[in-house]
Amino acid sequence: MKWLVNGRLFDGELLREGLCDLVIDKGRVAKIAPAGRFVPPEGATRIDLDGRILAPGFIDLHAHLRDPGQEWREDIISGSRAAAAGGFATVVAMPNTDPPIDRSSLVRYVLERGQSAGAARVLPAGSVTKGRHGQELAEMWFMANEGAAIFTDDGLPVSTAHLLRTALLYADDLGMAIMEHPEELSLTKDAQVNDGPCAARSGLKGAPKAAELIAVERGIALAKDTGAHLHLTHLSAKESLEAVRRAKKDGINITCDVTPHHLTLDESLIEKSGYSAAYKVNPPLRTAHDLEALWEGLADGTVDAIATDHAPYHLDEKDLPFQEAASGIASLECAVAVVLDAWLKRGKPFGIERLLRLFTAGPASVLRKSDLGRIEEGSVADITALDIGRERRVEAKRWESKARITPWEGAALCGWPVMTMREGKVIWVDGDSRLHAERD
Amino acid sequence: MPWKRKHLIDVDDWEREDFELLLEQTSNMDSILDRSIKKAPALRGKIVVNIFYEPSTRTRTSFEIAGKLLSADVINWTASGSSAAKGESLRDTIWTLEAMGADAVVIRHGEVGVPYYLAEKLKKASVINGGDGTHAHPTQALLDLYTAWRELGSLDGKKVAIVGDILHSRVARSDIYAFKAVGAEVCLSGPSTLMPTDINSLNATYEPNIAEAIDGADVVYMLRIQRERQDAGLFPSLDEYHKRYGLTDKLLGKAKKGALVMHPGPINRGVEIASSVADGPQSFILKQVRAGVAVRMALLYLMLGGVKE
Ligand SMILES: [Zn+2]
Repeated sequence: MKWLVNGRLFDGELLREGLCDLVIDKGRVAKIAPAGRFVPPEGATRIDLDGRILAPGFIDLHAHLRDPGQEWREDIISGSRAAAAGGFATVVAMPNTDPPIDRSSLVRYVLERGQSAGAARVLPAGSVTKGRHGQELAEMWFMANEGAAIFTDDGLPVSTAHLLRTALLYADDLGMAIMEHPEELSLTKDAQVNDGPCAARSGLKGAPKAAELIAVERGIALAKDTGAHLHLTHLSAKESLEAVRRAKKDGINITCDVTPHHLTLDESLIEKSGYSAAYKVNPPLRTAHDLEALWEGLADGTVDAIATDHAPYHLDEKDLPFQEAASGIASLECAVAVVLDAWLKRGKPFGIERLLRLFTAGPASVLRKSDLGRIEEGSVADITALDIGRERRVEAKRWESKARITPWEGAALCGWPVMTMREGKVIWVDGDSRLHAERD
Repeated sequence: MPWKRKHLIDVDDWEREDFELLLEQTSNMDSILDRSIKKAPALRGKIVVNIFYEPSTRTRTSFEIAGKLLSADVINWTASGSSAAKGESLRDTIWTLEAMGADAVVIRHGEVGVPYYLAEKLKKASVINGGDGTHAHPTQALLDLYTAWRELGSLDGKKVAIVGDILHSRVARSDIYAFKAVGAEVCLSGPSTLMPTDINSLNATYEPNIAEAIDGADVVYMLRIQRERQDAGLFPSLDEYHKRYGLTDKLLGKAKKGALVMHPGPINRGVEIASSVADGPQSFILKQVRAGVAVRMALLYLMLGGVKE
């Protein structure tokens, strides 16, 4: 049993006035009351949050845990621990592994490995197609029954409009969404950067924003046609956000997420860094203009979630000249701070509640998990404690993740998670935070 | 003004004074080329290593001669390796060179950004970019600049037209920076399919009509057209390209009288340039080659802190 005191409670929707105390028992929130209102339950471990924010455990919709098959980059254990250390109580593992997660036995493998990590809950995303070959639908019903949380061929878009339409209908029957990686591949062959100023000046092959927009529009048309729920992941371009905004106005069943890197980095940094591969990612970093549009999308509710697209690589695949290096930014352990820090530096352009929903209720609704992303009496005791005032440097060598290259290396960021709890167990606590909690 | 730059990766961060100092120094080196005994002792005891991951006999030989004329020991490192293994072997190569005591490393590589990577990994030696992918070719830009400057004097207000495949041209990118920095105006021409989408960020004007682009130009710079661009569907045929964008005597008549015709070589006769123009009185193509040696001597001299004769 645990007794959390003096937290500022964000319940998934609203930040409550004053400080709260919480009793956690048997993995659930047993009691919530204004601070100092009840006597401590006998034998409960007291954790004093000292005014920090107490939020539902954060949910990352999109992370590459590379397991099975590419464990030199990451595995489910290291990935799950990295998620916990980043403030995430739940992480959705992408299925583009080797073999891809395209059947129930592999879904079970991911769940069981995640369970044994004893850190963040790992929810497997299943492939839309068998082998991720883009030919035939994978056994989604079997996978859903085993515990798959969403379906995606991420890394690639669903190969054809016909297949995407079929997948949407089939997943809708199961009460689940399809997550789409929007990219029109005929426009992005060999692309390395955004097709903008950086491509012009470097000669690197550019991926035009239209490549994303075409796939976004395709998805919107099919979501409209089927009425099924399509989730568009890692949107990076202004035009994509505009399309989603219009679609939502028209009542189409569309959700989307953006990443911490597209919210904070733009393509000019590639040149400024001397073509450092730390900035190489797909979709590529866009212009400062697009970055602003993403923030507008957060502010007006067009964006439903912030997802990391954590893409860890071994040093030998990333510490290379730009063109040879693998695409992907690793961020699980600093993603929340990256976003909070940017939100603070921008002068808090919208309320903290909206920001926190993007890590909690927002992703929970994409996953259709009504038991996650909120705190109330009786709910699952997934909790993230946040210290908005805390400043810390990003040091990848101290990460739980196996990734060691990140564009934020050395950056002093303000606003960090300090404790992550899953089902009432403390799965991570920041040892330097002076928060007195013991890991379970 | 003393020379402060450790590496030459691109000229996009050079000031006008840097270019001027380099031009003066190149002039001095140029006069050495006229002597009957062309050797100077300025870089005795210095080691210059050429690593060329992309074959380019021209550029490599030019660096080799430049280093040798200044008495440096020039080593040509033969680089090879599969694409996937290239990066790793590059890292190992760099550390090996460092251990052997290289003072300068000249690198030519087919990928953008490799010289930056090299400079980041090397602790002591200077890096000279001999061309990285489609990005930059700073020594080519410097020799082009020197060739034009020697002939025209001040380049303030002069018009330079660069014609052809800008999209894939490291030469064009570096030339734009260099010519703009010394006061020239630069106009680009060629089909839109061979231009970057965001052409405005190249800091030059774009005129699709070649006759307009070279109208009144002091320098007409023709870029090499590669057949693989046709294969990639960026233009329909070399024949059509030549009819639309090839430099003929008639077209050259649009430029200023006596305008310099330049080309980074090797030329495709009958594609980007007609033979009569390439071999004609306005062609500076071979002068560019000679300037290449002088410019590289000047650079090595400045960068390796050569002693005065
Ligand atoms: Zn993706």
